[in-house]
Amino acid sequence: MKARTVRLWSLVHTWTSLISTVFLLLLCLTGLPLIFHHEIDELLGYAPQPEAHAGAARATSQAVADAALAADPGHVLQYISWDKDEPGIVTAFTNSAVDGLPDNTTVRAFDAVSTKLLGPVGVGPMLIMLKLHTDMFAGQPGKLFLGGMGLLFAVAIVSGVVLYWPFTRRLRFATIRDSAARRVRWLDWHNLIGVVTVAWALVVGLTGVVNTWAELMLNQWKATELASMVAPYAGKPPPVHLASLDDVVARARQAAPGMEVAFIAFPGTPFTSSHHFAAFMRGDTALTARLLKPVLLDGETGQVADARALPLYLQALLISQPLHFGDYGGMPLKVIWAALDLLTIVVIGSGLYLWLARRRKRAPGRTNAFARRAPVPS
Amino acid sequence: MHGSPDRSRLWIRVFAAPIVLAVSTLTGLLAALLWETAGQYVAWVTVGAPVLVIAWVWVRRRSDKIGRFSRARAGK
Repeated sequence: MKARTVRLWSLVHTWTSLISTVFLLLLCLTGLPLIFHHEIDELLGYAPQPEAHAGAARATSQAVADAALAADPGHVLQYISWDKDEPGIVTAFTNSAVDGLPDNTTVRAFDAVSTKLLGPVGVGPMLIMLKLHTDMFAGQPGKLFLGGMGLLFAVAIVSGVVLYWPFTRRLRFATIRDSAARRVRWLDWHNLIGVVTVAWALVVGLTGVVNTWAELMLNQWKATELASMVAPYAGKPPPVHLASLDDVVARARQAAPGMEVAFIAFPGTPFTSSHHFAAFMRGDTALTARLLKPVLLDGETGQVADARALPLYLQALLISQPLHFGDYGGMPLKVIWAALDLLTIVVIGSGLYLWLARRRKRAPGRTNAFARRAPVPS
Repeated sequence: MHGSPDRSRLWIRVFAAPIVLAVSTLTGLLAALLWETAGQYVAWVTVGAPVLVIAWVWVRRRSDKIGRFSRARAGK
């Protein structure tokens, strides 16, 4: 690699890293507790606990809907969801209007058997962490900004891999030059940790970027696929009387055999049309449980209107979520995720230290030690 | 790359371990998603491999330091 090429890649690596450093540190630091948000919520008493009902039959969907509306008088239901990993709990989302702002949504957990209100969901310190991590309390612009920082992170990783060759080709893998200056030791650690975590960092970084585009993707789906699904109902007014939720669930199951309802969007919410329920169905394997299939049902009669697989870009979004959160391999994978997150913090911190150290060394009248150990062009 | 055998060997020496670790990580990330319980076990080992490498380097470095210190004391 020629000296000029190395300098160019070095410039790319330095500036993409520097610009995104503060935000990447924020993402890594807030992401760390979010890996264990279930456990932290439980520890702090923010996780609703289902009542014990050995072998008892689950309450009907309509009974849960009635309980949710009774718990929030004057409000309307937006969504009801069933978590595969929390079979004892049903979650209901209420708001002042079906198209109310997401920040005004109240999320409550109900016992799946008795429909007893178990408490609010998504509150406490983890909510602050989540908002900082996803949009820094700046809404959609904040999300897109952090997505841009994620892309810079990806460029920094790729340029770092390119620079790994000229900086380490004379060293054995995993060499830390203990006899050298502190700056060189940290350069060795930076290179080693960076290169061994490269695949994980790229996957987590890029899936994070994809997640920041979720709203844009959903809008695209609504404007294209959903619009064509509800086209035969164009001009129909919103339903005056909603169909029974039990009918809606039963018919959605018939329309998607072998699948279970993950969540139901009520007519008028962002996930459906003003006239339809949308039942989002999931399979029962690790992969199919994440690939949802929407079934549209008439809001008044509960009849199935249409059912189609989600387009590839939304399937990519759904697959990218576990790959970003690391919540699909039990507690050991969460611990490994946390360790890799901490190692990424070390890479970012050491990169910043190396840049500052090089600037100090470049000051007039000082020996340019960095230039002395610069990679040899070839 | 200019294609000489020496250079290829050097390239392999530099990048072999990082490539093995990257493939191992990607295998583990997908395994847990595709193969449920068995995939989880695979993921714990393969995604955890980079952490183990760093831990091994750190421990090796500490033990080298302690060894040097002990030898220096014994030599006095």
